[in-house]
Amino acid sequence: MPLSAAPTPGAEVTRTGPALDEAPWQLQILSCSRKQKASAVPGTGPCPAVMAEVDLLDVPSLDKAAGEEFLQEAFGVILEEAVRRGTDVTEKVCDWKEPEDLRHLLDLELRGHGEPQPQVLQRCRDIIRYSVKTCHPRFFNQLFSGLDYHALAGRMITETLNTSQYTYEIAPVFVLMEEVVLQKLRELVGWGSGDGIFCPGGSISNMYAMNVARYHRFPDCKRRGLWALPRLAVFTSEECHYSIQKGAAFLGIGTDNVYLVGADERGKMIPAELEKQISQAQIEGAVPFFVSVTCGTTVLGAFDPLMAVADVCERHGLWFHVDAAWGGSVLLSQKHRHLLDGIERANSVAWNPHKMLTTGLQCSAFLLRDTSGLLHRCHSAGATYLFQPDKFYNVAWDTGDKTVQCGRKVDCLKLWLLWKAVGTEGLEKRVDRAFACTRYLAEEIKKREGFQLVMEPEFINLCFWFVPPSLRGKQAQANYWERLGKVAPVIKERMMKAGSMLVGYQPHGSKANFFRQIVTSPLVTRQDLDFFLDEIERLGRDL
Amino acid sequence: MLQRKKNAVLVDGVFLNGPIADARAGEKFVEDACKIIMEEVIQKAADVTEKVCEWQPPEKLKKLLDLEMRDTGEPHQQLLQLCQDVIRYSVKTNHPRFFNQLYAGIDYYSLVARFITEALNPSVYTYEVSPVFLLVEEAVLKKMIEFIGWNEGDGIFNPGGSVSNMYAMNLARYKYCPEIKEKGLSGLPRLVLFTSEECHYSMKKAASFLGIGTQNVYFIKTDERGKMIPEELEKQVQRARKEGAAPFLVSATAGTTVLGAFDPLDKIADICEKYGLWLHVDASWGGSALMSRKHRKLLHGIHRADSVAWNPHKMLMAGIQCCALLVKNNSDLLKKCYSANASYLFQQDKFYDVSYDTGDKSIQCSRRPDAFKFWMTWKALGTTGLEERENRALALARYLVDEIKKREGFRLLLEPEYANICFWYIPPSLRNMKEGAEFWEKLHHVAPVIKERMMKKGSMMLGYQPHLGKVNFFRQVVISPQVRREDMDFLLDEIDLLGRDL
Repeated sequence: MPLSAAPTPGAEVTRTGPALDEAPWQLQILSCSRKQKASAVPGTGPCPAVMAEVDLLDVPSLDKAAGEEFLQEAFGVILEEAVRRGTDVTEKVCDWKEPEDLRHLLDLELRGHGEPQPQVLQRCRDIIRYSVKTCHPRFFNQLFSGLDYHALAGRMITETLNTSQYTYEIAPVFVLMEEVVLQKLRELVGWGSGDGIFCPGGSISNMYAMNVARYHRFPDCKRRGLWALPRLAVFTSEECHYSIQKGAAFLGIGTDNVYLVGADERGKMIPAELEKQISQAQIEGAVPFFVSVTCGTTVLGAFDPLMAVADVCERHGLWFHVDAAWGGSVLLSQKHRHLLDGIERANSVAWNPHKMLTTGLQCSAFLLRDTSGLLHRCHSAGATYLFQPDKFYNVAWDTGDKTVQCGRKVDCLKLWLLWKAVGTEGLEKRVDRAFACTRYLAEEIKKREGFQLVMEPEFINLCFWFVPPSLRGKQAQANYWERLGKVAPVIKERMMKAGSMLVGYQPHGSKANFFRQIVTSPLVTRQDLDFFLDEIERLGRDL
Repeated sequence: MLQRKKNAVLVDGVFLNGPIADARAGEKFVEDACKIIMEEVIQKAADVTEKVCEWQPPEKLKKLLDLEMRDTGEPHQQLLQLCQDVIRYSVKTNHPRFFNQLYAGIDYYSLVARFITEALNPSVYTYEVSPVFLLVEEAVLKKMIEFIGWNEGDGIFNPGGSVSNMYAMNLARYKYCPEIKEKGLSGLPRLVLFTSEECHYSMKKAASFLGIGTQNVYFIKTDERGKMIPEELEKQVQRARKEGAAPFLVSATAGTTVLGAFDPLDKIADICEKYGLWLHVDASWGGSALMSRKHRKLLHGIHRADSVAWNPHKMLMAGIQCCALLVKNNSDLLKKCYSANASYLFQQDKFYDVSYDTGDKSIQCSRRPDAFKFWMTWKALGTTGLEERENRALALARYLVDEIKKREGFRLLLEPEYANICFWYIPPSLRNMKEGAEFWEKLHHVAPVIKERMMKKGSMMLGYQPHLGKVNFFRQVVISPQVRREDMDFLLDEIDLLGRDL
């Protein structure tokens, strides 16, 4: 329906874009012209008064009963289609469609008129149907997978309560809860006290670390910017997560000032190389201030040698950050936590329980050893409309000014409820089981023809090649690696189109495409692991 | 069972047969939790006869909640009780008398979308793991871009408007000098950005986070209604140039946080054009007025912006968080500015068109599908329904303003142009006092006491603040379609009731 019939006060604005001429406004429920006629109230501001509508304003414009009924029905659909079928091993992991086809199937366009509830409910089914089931026991594609029911309940409560984590006044329960959860995580790191905050993702946690370190060294930077400072240098290993680069760019430090330290054949930072890079930076006139080591690298799952790096940092007075976004959860396991020996010497730690502990995206803690309020000093802006100092309670509980966000999602409840449900012991069991699953697969791979480990895993990243029959024993051929590099993408395409499972592959350094398999879900069984290898073989045996 | 035990595989002391999570018990828990959500939040909290909050001081609440995380897990019933407690002591932001923030109310459609999101747990970086949600994001961005008045553009959903503003600042900087990404700021001329003194505090946070420094944010004076004065902007730009600094960005605000003011975008755009500055519009709060044919004139000139931050989680009730940064530039500037090309995630030899893997436009790695909840509401209500909400909120605001004018002891700070109604309540004891220093000093202490009383009673919540030389006043914000005229009347009655003895 064309809009041109009713020239609006905004019409001038719309002049330039053709889009707005077609804008799908159709009905004016609170009709502009009707209002204006009926409302010659003197002294009103830029928008005329609304006497004619007072009858409409007397009742809510929301049908509560219908809304609740819709919610009930949708609960049923979600439970059946997303949770039950999503975790059912006999169902597909994904129902692959090309983007153009999917766009057509979903009818994504937003229109002028609304839709009746049954149709909206059908949309819910479609959305679920064509989405990848990351909770499926055969989804091994990312560093997160699976489903924890208690965490899910916590997330639904979070969504329903819809609050923002900045002041005690508006999120009393969650302000206290976040503190308790952070304290528990710090204890596992080995700190009796400290500070911290939940961030929207590990990348942001890493940026926080970089910014806090910079502020710690050069407090003037907050006010005067980088012009008050010499050129800064950041150090991390060549196996680090790409967020360190993104962080350096975003914070104005520049990616050229990230010195990548060499790693050994297992992907661990070489401390002697770190020393060399630090000297190199100094020779080049830069000022080293920040070292980020990784516990659980993204691809290989390597743990940097924390003790040795801590020594280097101490020697040079550098901030020691540990990106344990992936590997941090190993701290829960008595058996495996030695991988992170030395983490207690860090100045800051990033740890994402949403990965290995299956809390759901996002649950990313940024932890600090500092107890002097550094985080607050570094990020605070003291907005008077939010952080009024004359409140009637202790405003030290208004923790929101520690962040660079304003509104911030509640990310602690899901982890807290999960923890309450299974206890520290239950979480430990999950971590140990993930290691055991990986160990089992590694041994199976060694037994099977055509499978070859990239390296012996020390964590739960299982990296391997599948060598199809046509390439077996031809390693000496000149184009062997080039041909092998083409195998994984084809297998991946086939598995996605079959919907049987999902696993990632990537080239890495000089290594041709290999698979990286990750098990974190407590729903995974040994049968799923066997299936995984069988399926790769089935999909790739003709290549 | 027996069969399984026979083939048990023991690795490192762990039996690998069978899942360790009990799916049936888990589903039961989710079902039971949903019942509690339904009864205790959805039904109860939307009832005006229930409390908005159940105030407890921090130390006492800690004891009431049993927050400690222990070694062993707790049984089903106990966990459900914990959920009940969490809900009981949480503020009911969906209560019709919650007016405390720039968000409020409940939208059933977006809530369902949020539940679906939680159940599916997707991350929107690649088409392979998030096919549906990437397309949804694209469709929503496209529509929002239309409403701004651009023919084309780009965009991304972010964890908060503050982050959107940071994105804009970084983009503007990158556009000014692409080398900054690699070289950093050292060696460059001092960058300066401009925003009004009424702007959101995220501009300062962004400037310090991005290494620009808060002193390089030049604050522009505003008129008595809180709008940036364009002539002042031009003066400041010239001043920065004289100082040898490099002006690169103007951030105008459409809907300031406290006063709800809209900067004069058209005039600001003229200045930006004249001096070659990036124009960002922080329409986090006011952007939703674009949905209303009646009120979109407030944002006149927004189509001339280079970037816009707009949070549908505020007025359009998409649920926290739903924040878009929209960019006019269609030459992949976002991607160029932010990409790191991680080869483990954004493999170039995938079997589908990898231009759909949009995650490298972000500074995040994993990212929530925040566009989806807005899409669902939009589908259910249509543009018309969203427009109605916007109009209704502003109509209620207008009603309240008229009531305030009629009532003794209430005084408007200024005639609002949006949904922020800022006013003082002057208790009887102050009504005949001369408006000198003592009057203002005394008035300053009124709002905090009323706030304390309303929270302890749980009858409603609204915010107060001092602001640029003005003593504490209330800021009432109307958003939710649940709110009725009666709730507006109640608000004024209740303030009077709570404060008349002061």
